[in-house]
Amino acid sequence: MTTLDSKVPSGPLETKWDRHRFSEKLVSPNNKRRIKIIVVGTGLAGASAASTLGQLGYEVECFCFQDSPRRAHSIAAQGGINAAKNYQDDGDSVARLFYDTIKGGDFRSREANVYRLAQVSTQIIDQCVALGVPFAREYGGQLANRSFGGVQVSRTFYCRGQTGQQLLLGAYSALCWQIERGQVTMRPRTEMLDLIVVDGHARGIVVRDLVSGHVTAHTAHAVVLATGGYSNVYYLSTNASGSNVTATYRAWKQGAAFANPSFTQIHPTAIPPSETHQAKLTLMSESLRNDGRLWVPKVPSGRRPPNDIPSSERDYFLERRYPQFGNLVPRDVASRAVKTLCDEGRGVGPGGHGVYLDFTDVIEQQGLDVVRERYGNLFDMYQRITGEDAYRVPMRIYPAPHYTMGGLWVDYNLMSTIPGLFVIGEANFADHGANRLGASSLMQGLADGYFILPYTIGHYLATTKITPIAEYHRESREALERVASRVTKLLGGQGRRTAASFHREVGRILWDHCGMARCEGGLKRTLQSIPALREEFWRDVAVPGSGETFNQELEYAGRVADFLEFAELICHDALHREESCGAHFREEHQTPDGEPKRDDTRFSHVAAWEYRENGPPILHKEPLTFEFVQPTARSYE
Amino acid sequence: MKFTLKIWRQQGPDDKGRFVTYQAHEVSPDMSFLEMLDSVNQGLIVKGEEPVAFEHDCREGICGSCSLVINGVPHGPERGIATCQLYMRRFSDGATITIEPWRARAFPIIKDLVVDRRALDRVMQAGGYISVNTGGAVDGNVVLIGKDQAETAMDAASCIGCGACVAACKNASAMLFVAAKVSHLASLPQGKPERTRRVTAMMEAMDREGFGACGNQYECEAVCPKSISVRFIATLNREYLRAGVVESGAPTVPEAPHAESD
Amino acid sequence: MASGETAVSSCKNRGMMRLFNHFQTSLDSKVVVALTGLGLAGFVVFHMLGNLQVFEGAEALNSYAAFLRDMPILLWTTRLGLLSIVALHIGLAIQLTLHNRRARPVAYAVREYRKASLASRTMAVTGSVLLLFIVFHLLHLTAGVVDTSFPDRLDLQGHRDVYGKVVHAFRNPLFVALYLAGQFVLGLHLSHAVSSSLQTLGFEHAALNRLFKAAGPVIALLVVLGNMAIILAVFLGVVRT
Repeated sequence: MTTLDSKVPSGPLETKWDRHRFSEKLVSPNNKRRIKIIVVGTGLAGASAASTLGQLGYEVECFCFQDSPRRAHSIAAQGGINAAKNYQDDGDSVARLFYDTIKGGDFRSREANVYRLAQVSTQIIDQCVALGVPFAREYGGQLANRSFGGVQVSRTFYCRGQTGQQLLLGAYSALCWQIERGQVTMRPRTEMLDLIVVDGHARGIVVRDLVSGHVTAHTAHAVVLATGGYSNVYYLSTNASGSNVTATYRAWKQGAAFANPSFTQIHPTAIPPSETHQAKLTLMSESLRNDGRLWVPKVPSGRRPPNDIPSSERDYFLERRYPQFGNLVPRDVASRAVKTLCDEGRGVGPGGHGVYLDFTDVIEQQGLDVVRERYGNLFDMYQRITGEDAYRVPMRIYPAPHYTMGGLWVDYNLMSTIPGLFVIGEANFADHGANRLGASSLMQGLADGYFILPYTIGHYLATTKITPIAEYHRESREALERVASRVTKLLGGQGRRTAASFHREVGRILWDHCGMARCEGGLKRTLQSIPALREEFWRDVAVPGSGETFNQELEYAGRVADFLEFAELICHDALHREESCGAHFREEHQTPDGEPKRDDTRFSHVAAWEYRENGPPILHKEPLTFEFVQPTARSYE
Repeated sequence: MKFTLKIWRQQGPDDKGRFVTYQAHEVSPDMSFLEMLDSVNQGLIVKGEEPVAFEHDCREGICGSCSLVINGVPHGPERGIATCQLYMRRFSDGATITIEPWRARAFPIIKDLVVDRRALDRVMQAGGYISVNTGGAVDGNVVLIGKDQAETAMDAASCIGCGACVAACKNASAMLFVAAKVSHLASLPQGKPERTRRVTAMMEAMDREGFGACGNQYECEAVCPKSISVRFIATLNREYLRAGVVESGAPTVPEAPHAESD
Repeated sequence: MASGETAVSSCKNRGMMRLFNHFQTSLDSKVVVALTGLGLAGFVVFHMLGNLQVFEGAEALNSYAAFLRDMPILLWTTRLGLLSIVALHIGLAIQLTLHNRRARPVAYAVREYRKASLASRTMAVTGSVLLLFIVFHLLHLTAGVVDTSFPDRLDLQGHRDVYGKVVHAFRNPLFVALYLAGQFVLGLHLSHAVSSSLQTLGFEHAALNRLFKAAGPVIALLVVLGNMAIILAVFLGVVRT
């Protein structure tokens, strides 16, 4: 039976973290080198955690499925990283970053966690500068900031449009140092396929070497999962093709609670899918909405070129519905508006999946050169992908699944419901509530990895008696067998359908019924159709090749198999939450003019789901209490 | 559109490898090159054949996974992009396209078009970092860095580590890769204290891994998805020469007092 | 912390090693090839300038040759110096070429160059041809063993008649063709070599990069034009005995 104890320290918000750190037990330096920690994933959270733990003196074994730790998907983050430095003296503070994040998350996150995040945000910037991250600078040599994601202060630090890349390369270089020192053993091209739990404690993982196909058990004193988000469950998303849910999902099946799995952020400005073979959606920076105007024809006009449609026949729908914020409403609001229009058949482009993002006015007012300087690289990227010149023809955009706020449930110490299993970065559920603000994911990943986990894991290791176990311990053998039999099962079929076709199908179902808008009927139908699809998968999937070699299709099929199970969990969560909050929009719960209606009396809680072998998952609720801020309605009208 | 593909197939590092010809039918000009390969692979899987192994992940030109030599050019005919950003409208209908893996001794083939690029990681581990501990860093604005200097560092730092420079180089040299990292760190004040050791160690590592030497032909720059300039190679050379002078004339480094018996 | 400090303290040893044994990495070898190459390029330039005295008539050239020969110590020091530079240049270039060949054991089936110049792609070939040409040139005009039809004789001042020898040589269309071909190869080699050496030695400056890039082709062109002027002037009868 899972119990949810958030372990949030009592007392004033501002000093919780400091007092907590002081009360934590420490591991003596001599003992650290006898303690082994497994870190899975090398994105911002994983790489920063592994390098810091190695630097502290622990023996770290670090795994990633990519060919190099530097390729983890954090690398693709464009915009920037928030920090409450208040370098611009524009009224920013830890308290304001805290409040913006809590409010942006629609009051579905823990106050103490978010406050701590805002507190350590400033340290992150200093640390990254020390590591040689080439942040943008002013002429005077100070760090530059920009405002991002509709907040009123400039607190976003950036490296051109490649902030995630530079932050990850910083963490990766720190990791390289620890590898060179022998503190971290790096195992690239190795995928975690199961968790080893001994006497209720996480003690290791089972991995498959993706080159040799060998399946091995690795044991340790504690396991850290930093395996990212699962937007790829929707098939088309902004995630990398390798991003998957397998590690966290397998941990769930071993007893870790999964929190708020249905909270998925749909980013409004992606390039629309153009044809059925499309494998991913490419994000265009949110900053485009600063100058571009979104519109659709008032009446569907078929293939009529957009420039032939006079402005009287255009519906600038965001400006019409939200005159205050116009085209700059938050991501979820914009995405939903676009989807509603497209569902009404008013979308433009192939399949009606898209709306225009028009720069004609700003080009007329400020000149082509200004627009070119501001967005040139984005327009180039758009042209490369679509073959269209956005300086002359309006862009088409469409929402895309982007970031998952849900993840494994963790307490204030970032430990899951399985003692010894820590979860950091996007893989946990902790800090973003029901919706994440722009430039906050990089902040959270590095906060967890550099500054939070290294403290909290020490306390666990210092206070828990951990007896050594052999790699062929009974639980290890069982986990190895689970993995081996699954590999055999995947390869054994005589099917005729590709794993991708199943992936596309489950993604389509989720997108339609558990995407930007959800309703009871649709979710219930989905909960019936997914098991049927899953059965068909196991009956009819074709996985060629063998398990003893490099076999990308086998890797992929295994991930799809997990998505096919996990999709159900998402729907259970979405079905239970009979309110609209943040990225979660239930059609039954909206105001007459289509605005989301939150229900704080019934749903001010974290929904943490426990796995049950036969039957639906069990819901546990961690109540969210707000001592320091008052939940208010998120209104953008 | 349709294409004839001549694709390098190789079971593993010990296999000799050979070209196999495939037909790609019903290719849309809006497909990316990798999506075109996806669709070929889907056809192979349905027929029970093993799909062509190729590397890919972010598919937006930043992770550096994709690594195909297309008609003799790493990342294909367009400049300043990775393979994943190449679209089929760039090719003429009915064309024959030859696809090969990165070829270098330092990049052994794992399977088909997938190579092992860990050599680049090992070069990084030799010194491509600033050894500072987590925590205790001074405020980010304490050391001022001019905008131009920061921009230069960023130009160099934008390397995605794909290895196209190695693939394109006649000598399979990793100089542009090493140059990008060394120049990035050497151009920032934070990277200065270790610049001598870094450049020597990384150059030695590059040789050790079996990469060739730079021939100053600049093919690397021409195929680099981030168009990283070869002037950074000159910077690397200068750093290296400086290190040689500094190292041979430097006074003995005093042993730092040890806080622990480690 | 231990490993970090070991690495730092080994720095000094490594530096000493590099000072005495300058071939620790391929880049060390490249630097030496660049330095020796620039030295040889310098020699080629002076060689050409000296020989241009052919246009001033027999007396000038012959007394220039005699001036050089009158200082045997300097002459032989220079000759031995040049020889060792050449040996170093060639030895290391061969070593580097082999090192580079090893770096790509399997060639591409299809190869398309985007930027590499013809000169840069043929350095090993032009270098080898150049070596043969120099050997031939020394045997021909210095040792005089290739063509014995011109007797070693003195001019009116009692100097060896180098002028006459040159004029005699370049009356022969076969030698003219050989020397012109040699110039072509020399020009090709130099056009990449000089700028490439500057790059290897770390010459990089935003405002001067174009100069560094142009240095190779410009010097190559000057040397080739100068040398060709001598050959053709003789062949076309502008310079005669």
